[in-house]
Amino acid sequence: MTAGLDPHVVAPARLTLMTALTAVSEVEFSILRARLEVSDSVLSKHISALADAGYVRVRKGVLAGRRTTWITLTSTGRKALRDHVAALRRLIDLVD
Amino acid sequence: MLSNMESAPDRPTAAAASAALTDAEASRAAVARGLFLPSWFLPSLGAAIAVQIATAAVGLAGAEPWLVVLGLGVFAAAAGVQLARFRRLNGVWLGGLASRVVLGTGMAASASYALALGAAIWAAYAAQWGLTAACAVAGGAAYAVSGARWLSAYRAEPAVHSRGESAVWLALLGMAGLLGLALLVLNR
Repeated sequence: MTAGLDPHVVAPARLTLMTALTAVSEVEFSILRARLEVSDSVLSKHISALADAGYVRVRKGVLAGRRTTWITLTSTGRKALRDHVAALRRLIDLVD
Repeated sequence: MLSNMESAPDRPTAAAASAALTDAEASRAAVARGLFLPSWFLPSLGAAIAVQIATAAVGLAGAEPWLVVLGLGVFAAAAGVQLARFRRLNGVWLGGLASRVVLGTGMAASASYALALGAAIWAAYAAQWGLTAACAVAGGAAYAVSGARWLSAYRAEPAVHSRGESAVWLALLGMAGLLGLALLVLNR
């Protein structure tokens, strides 16, 4: 593994998910699924893995009378993402 | 978007890294582009601020503290309703919108608000009621315009503008504002 690359974020899907989360403070699961054009199961799998790593926080709530799941990028996740993106940029610069 | 990228080698190639970053930034832009303000969001906030400025000025000049409280109540109700509508419409919570646009902690909103409130209070003490109203309307309009400017900045750089101030900082600011108004009322 290249120095600085985070094993929890190295899959492009995780990078995409975490980067999307930086655009908001908290997002409802179904909205995130629609924006990322992904199935429930794929998104759930990635969110569970990132939650286990402490990179995202998941909470249950209610919106307009229906039960919902809300996702937040934690400060740990934000730092991990920043470090991972910096490592990717270094990798690109090495070739350029 | 995600389903095609579930696995990756431990060390991506430069091309793969570049493609991954491009896709990630596109996903963030898509989330930001997909957010919309509910109808009358900014005009209602501007109107509520205008009412709050006018009632604060008249309440202070006329030693009618209930007017000051009424104006704060109108603004709090408008802010709460609009934030709830935004959350219901978009399915997101956006801290930057809540603090910079609704609570006016952005530089343009806070500066224009302070200027309009100060001028309105001065005009009210001078019994210049037309000028008081004009200052209140100008303050409300500037508040709404600064909110629209924040939205443009957010859409251009969502990661930079998505987060608002911490709850502790907002609580301190709120208490300082209430304390300032209370002192003005008591010293009247």
